[in-house]
Amino acid sequence: MNVIIVGAGHLGSSLARKLSDLGHRITIIEKDPKSVLQLPRGRVDSGVMTVIHRDGSTGVAMIEAGIANADVFIAATGKDSLNGLAAQRAKTIFRVEEVMTAVKGEGAKTLYESLGITTINKASLAGDRLVNLLTEEK
Amino acid sequence: MYLVIVGGGIVGAPLASSLINAGHEVFVLDHDPDTVASLQRDLGMIATVGEATSVRALQEAGASRAGAIIATTDSDEDNLVACQLARSNFDIPRTIAIAHSPENAELFDIAGVDLVVSATELVLSNLATALPAHPLIRLMPIADRSQELVAIKLPAAGTVIGRTLSELTLPYGTKIILMVTAEGQSKTPDADTLVEAEDQIVALSPANSTSELWKLLTELR
Repeated sequence: MNVIIVGAGHLGSSLARKLSDLGHRITIIEKDPKSVLQLPRGRVDSGVMTVIHRDGSTGVAMIEAGIANADVFIAATGKDSLNGLAAQRAKTIFRVEEVMTAVKGEGAKTLYESLGITTINKASLAGDRLVNLLTEEK
Repeated sequence: MYLVIVGGGIVGAPLASSLINAGHEVFVLDHDPDTVASLQRDLGMIATVGEATSVRALQEAGASRAGAIIATTDSDEDNLVACQLARSNFDIPRTIAIAHSPENAELFDIAGVDLVVSATELVLSNLATALPAHPLIRLMPIADRSQELVAIKLPAAGTVIGRTLSELTLPYGTKIILMVTAEGQSKTPDADTLVEAEDQIVALSPANSTSELWKLLTELR
């Protein structure tokens, strides 16, 4: 699948790496040249992963990232509202089939899910996982 | 009316002040303690420190009893999400937001913000009226921005001067609404109306045809 990821921070770069391991074509939009260093250098250099140096919430960045042919769009910056805006543009303007966004706040989760956008909450995922581990140990 | 303003900076602060003077009850939410302190000094206890996009902060600002939220931060994404959270969590009746980038203005419209103030359009239209040339003045976006009401002042030596409206090939869908002569006389446009030097033309045009219209009407001989 063609996957666009906005943000090459901890979440974005580890998502990029894992999805690329599974054989998906990854395009990352990240304006900060320093964050890009977190991506696997070899895959970027060999062109398996494409990096677009722009503000990922803008239409021009999305077009350059090939959004017309994207199957999945993931907004994974550290800022909830920026993720929300980018995800809504991908969903409503570019009509990407599967749009996901990282969120921290619970209020935003309800909002985006009502718009057909899947939300990923790192803290609550980690919390659930820990609870599961602890319960399993009993 | 009770109004929540998000962002107490260069737009939010004077807005709060004039809304208070107009008799409204206003509460301002801003993430910066210094901004909040200065608002409190000038206008009283009408501001608090909080994130625009935090549901709890909106609640503390009284979003559940507010008649409208006005998002004026310098971050487009915060303005959009603040309005959406106020609507989805507190059922706020009216959402108003500034969009700094024109493409975000369009997205805000689609995303259901009731009133979108496009900062770029405002600046452009003000610049246009101040410029001496023969600019395209964007008066108002119409029908979800698919059409625009525009005004154009014709140059004295334009190719269209001396012709009638029926002789002009206007862009598809464009309608001339009003013509005003250099002396300030208005003319009701019909097929036989003569286009004269320095006429001002007000037209309704599909948004993507306005520059074509401008080229046609300002082309020099």
